[in-house]
Amino acid sequence: MSRVRLSRWLLAIPMSLLALATIYPLLFTVNVAMKTRRDYILDRFALTDTLRWDNISTAWNSVGMDRYFVNSLIVVTSSVVLLLLLGSMAGFALSQLRFRGSSALFLGCLAGLFVPFQVIMVPLARIMADTALIDTYPGLVLVFVAQFLPFTVFLMTSYYKTIPREVIDAARIDGNSVYGVYRRIMLPLGTPALLSVGILNALFCWNDVLMSLVMMPSAEHRTLMVGVTSLRGQYSNDIPTFASGVLIAAIPVLVVYLFLQRQIADGVAAGSTKG
Amino acid sequence: MPIGNAQPSVRPVPSGRTDGAAAEAGGRRRGAGSRHLRGGSRAERLAPYVLVAPAILIIVVLRLYPLLLGVNFSFTGDGERNGTTVGIDNYLELLDDSLFRTALGNVGLLVLLLPVAVAIPGLLATFIYLRVPGHRFYRSVYFFPAVLSPVIVGAIFNLLLAFDGPVNAVLGAVGISPVDWLGNPDVAMFVVVGVHIWATFGMALVVFLAGFATLDAALLDAARVDGASLVQVIRHVIIPGLSRTIAFVAVTTMVGMLTSMFGLLYVMTSGGPEGSTYLPEYYIWIQQGQMNRPALASAASTVLFVIMLVVGLLQVKLLRRAGGED
Repeated sequence: MSRVRLSRWLLAIPMSLLALATIYPLLFTVNVAMKTRRDYILDRFALTDTLRWDNISTAWNSVGMDRYFVNSLIVVTSSVVLLLLLGSMAGFALSQLRFRGSSALFLGCLAGLFVPFQVIMVPLARIMADTALIDTYPGLVLVFVAQFLPFTVFLMTSYYKTIPREVIDAARIDGNSVYGVYRRIMLPLGTPALLSVGILNALFCWNDVLMSLVMMPSAEHRTLMVGVTSLRGQYSNDIPTFASGVLIAAIPVLVVYLFLQRQIADGVAAGSTKG
Repeated sequence: MPIGNAQPSVRPVPSGRTDGAAAEAGGRRRGAGSRHLRGGSRAERLAPYVLVAPAILIIVVLRLYPLLLGVNFSFTGDGERNGTTVGIDNYLELLDDSLFRTALGNVGLLVLLLPVAVAIPGLLATFIYLRVPGHRFYRSVYFFPAVLSPVIVGAIFNLLLAFDGPVNAVLGAVGISPVDWLGNPDVAMFVVVGVHIWATFGMALVVFLAGFATLDAALLDAARVDGASLVQVIRHVIIPGLSRTIAFVAVTTMVGMLTSMFGLLYVMTSGGPEGSTYLPEYYIWIQQGQMNRPALASAASTVLFVIMLVVGLLQVKLLRRAGGED
């Protein structure tokens, strides 16, 4: 028994080193963002002596990160709301209602899982251009929704399957229509799943770069992640400002992670075990 | 439980009587609209379709139809030959293009590195499951890079791996000459894949831990009572017990490497040096966005789709075999 305990402590050594390797790059970036250019060139590693926010405000104001931030916020919020709405509607119908063709429709939704954006990038860009949706908020929102809807429908369907039919029967006896059941019963009962799936979708959309790059070509509509990629060329000589821009893009995600870690991990785990 | 069954009724299992009651109640509350619930009023019968329609419509129009469109498109020409059928010319051109061949070669490299990318989170999950001291802390730290965008990860590693950057400074301090991490064609692809694994192993870890939750703890206890070593426990209890999870992680990791490295490539190497870090997704983007060769890009897309299909079919096969072993 003691041997087992010892070996567990031995394992803790590589595991802590790995934890350090996981966290250090971010700490390094935070530290650099606080430095002046001169400090950075003189010593990259030394801890900054003061918390300087100049770089952050430079990145925020003069690079256009503020506008990119708002663009991302608009697109991500609309996408997530739509995803949750359409995903829960379809999930409810596919899990609890009996109707002709339901399994075919479910399979149709799942088929979307096997078509990554890279594969349909060219025709999708063409469709968006033909419908004048390219380089507009609704255009990117639609692309995001199409991208993440199969996964959302899948998770909502498996979640709603765990709700006993009696609950719905009772609601029907009380005189609710199918839509009433959706609004008054399924939406509130679905909250935990909606939260998990919503956060995951928000992360996916917020972090995306390829779809945003293809669908939002103009600088005016650029999303935050595409904005970060443009930093590289502009600030290759001003590393602290560059690091600040990266940090601005990372902070919302870090905050979400700190508070909602559990839901994110649950969402990922649900996606795997339900398969 | 089957997902749906082919019954004409939309009603969630009511018997005739309660149904009538529901109809009456409904009729009282909302008037004529839902009076005919017994036979299922028209609106109620259509309700499931109305609920599913928006999702299906979006998926069909913006995911499935473009797939067909793209395959079709890959047999037409670019530029002057725009719109004309050119047979398999685009595919021949792909085979002839050394950049695309490099991209395919790199896919092969990803396949070779796949066991490493699966084993790392698998081992770590095992340790966490066996309650290494501080396991909760490790779990949340390891998962954290998985929530960062590849663009952010790439930008951070650009700083760390710059030729005059901190990693080389550390190497220099112990007497190793600096490495041109992202500028050496022999090294760059490994670096990018390494960063990708760094950024995503937390995802796979969480999936593994979810798998462990389904593992029969009695088996582990028995093995421990019998004095099995850690290696024996892993080989004889954990790997057979988790075969489904392992297969799932292998496939999702492979799909992840094929479809979510664009951000890293875009920020870290732009496909270089000397085109050594091209992957199909990057090639597609370059041909469609930068080179104005959408038809050629479509052909590359079709090739990528076939690769993904093979991975997907392999998944079904692996899962089925793993299921048979259970």
